[in-house]
Amino acid sequence: MEENNNKKNFGDKIFEEEFLPQIDALYNFAYHLTYNEEDANDLVQETYLKAYRFIDKYIEGTNAKAWLFKILKNAFINQYRKKSKQPTKVDYEEIVSYHDRDDEGGSYLDLRHEIFQGMMGDEVTIALNSLPVDFKTVILLCDIEGFTYEEISKIVDIPIGTVRSRLHRARNMLKDKLKNYAEERGYIDKRSKS
Amino acid sequence: MNTISNDNRTLMQKVMLYLDNELTKEAERALLLEIQSDPQFMELFNKEKSFREFIRSKVNRRKVSASLVENIKHKIRVTSTP
Repeated sequence: MEENNNKKNFGDKIFEEEFLPQIDALYNFAYHLTYNEEDANDLVQETYLKAYRFIDKYIEGTNAKAWLFKILKNAFINQYRKKSKQPTKVDYEEIVSYHDRDDEGGSYLDLRHEIFQGMMGDEVTIALNSLPVDFKTVILLCDIEGFTYEEISKIVDIPIGTVRSRLHRARNMLKDKLKNYAEERGYIDKRSKS
Repeated sequence: MNTISNDNRTLMQKVMLYLDNELTKEAERALLLEIQSDPQFMELFNKEKSFREFIRSKVNRRKVSASLVENIKHKIRVTSTP
């Protein structure tokens, strides 16, 4: 009985001090994955309930954020499976290695141009959300949440080399989308002028 | 021509790693020296750096509702009570 109480108190402490402070980041990630408030709420709730259930697998003071993100990512995949909406499977790395190709135009895009600076967050968010989910995920984890390649590799379950190539490709895809968007509004890519 | 392209690609890869904090301190120092000595590389570096800043500053961050936090706490209280 006392042992159970101690375990519960320990779990509650970890939950309050290490897990709950990550909730905004988790919700943000969930929202961008699902692009729907209700689904994001469900996903975050499921993540916390699962984390609490398996709290004895978590080592106090280690990387709670990465641990929770991994649970959320797995819950997201399962949720998609249930709905029979398989998230985009990325075999692109195997088909095309970006490191074996010349950089595509996107890499040189100058986002300091005023047309980009004038873009609203909504426009950029829509561009990001239009990427296939595996590409969007690495950008969110690296550029928005600041995870290292090693952490991303563990969260997403892919080798570090794949994290790197996927990030490279994802960023180029995003740059292309932003460039197209800007061109529709009169932006001229100086490299195409000659 | 190919050599220039390869140089650029290698540099871009290093710039990516640097901006993602994935280079060792030594490799960082070497890269910064390389960038500073070449205005073209400096321009590439600045563009890539501004892209990261752009994404970080523009992508909407969502805040969680107080009711979700309360819901989670409630469900945990219910499931953990013997």
